[in-house]
Amino acid sequence: PVASAKEDEATRVLQLMNMVTPEELEDDDEYQDIWDDIAEECSKFGKIIDMKIPRPNKAEAVPGCGLIFVRYETKDQTLEALRALAGRKFADRTVVATFMDEDNYLADNF
Amino acid sequence: DDGAERKRKRKSRWGDEQKVIMPGLPTSVSKLSKEQSEKYLLQIRLEELSRKLRIGDFTPTERTRSPSPEPVYNADGKRINTREARIKKKLEDERHRLMELAIKTIPNFRPPTDYKRPTKTQE
Repeated sequence: PVASAKEDEATRVLQLMNMVTPEELEDDDEYQDIWDDIAEECSKFGKIIDMKIPRPNKAEAVPGCGLIFVRYETKDQTLEALRALAGRKFADRTVVATFMDEDNYLADNF
Repeated sequence: DDGAERKRKRKSRWGDEQKVIMPGLPTSVSKLSKEQSEKYLLQIRLEELSRKLRIGDFTPTERTRSPSPEPVYNADGKRINTREARIKKKLEDERHRLMELAIKTIPNFRPPTDYKRPTKTQE
């Protein structure tokens, strides 16, 4: 069985799952729209340094496609965002959240 | 009242503060390997689809509503391809596809008892 996130595992990077499908990210306008929705809500919990939403690519499989990454200034902000957003609805889907290792995030090692 | 012109062109995709509780399926999780998370997200999505079908939640989820097809009627003159029926079919198809994937990829995965594998025959 899958374990619940623990406080001491917090990093500065929040990973959000089950929110978007790769198909929804293909269209430029829809992609921007999704980006804005997520940035707006996530900024309520702290200062966002940057975000990554990998997009599908016709030529090859893109690692992390369908996942969303938000890097905050502090671990506390990530923790607060995780607590607030996990289990919320996004479109018709349920948000699943975890912490992402910051080095892996920077290296696009999703 | 739809008169209020707002800067924001549309409604956010985020739902309200209400949390979805799925027994045995936590939504805030410890770091998973890629393989683990793929399997876990599959289970989460299956639970979502099963719930929708169980409670009959066939509200449209697409933001840009696709054009309605020509109506199709049965022998009694009742329309059979209503929007609700089309959404239900879509949910069932996705559930079926993911169920087959879960059966193949998740060891000891057992489909829920209310799940019947669709048959090819109609009616």
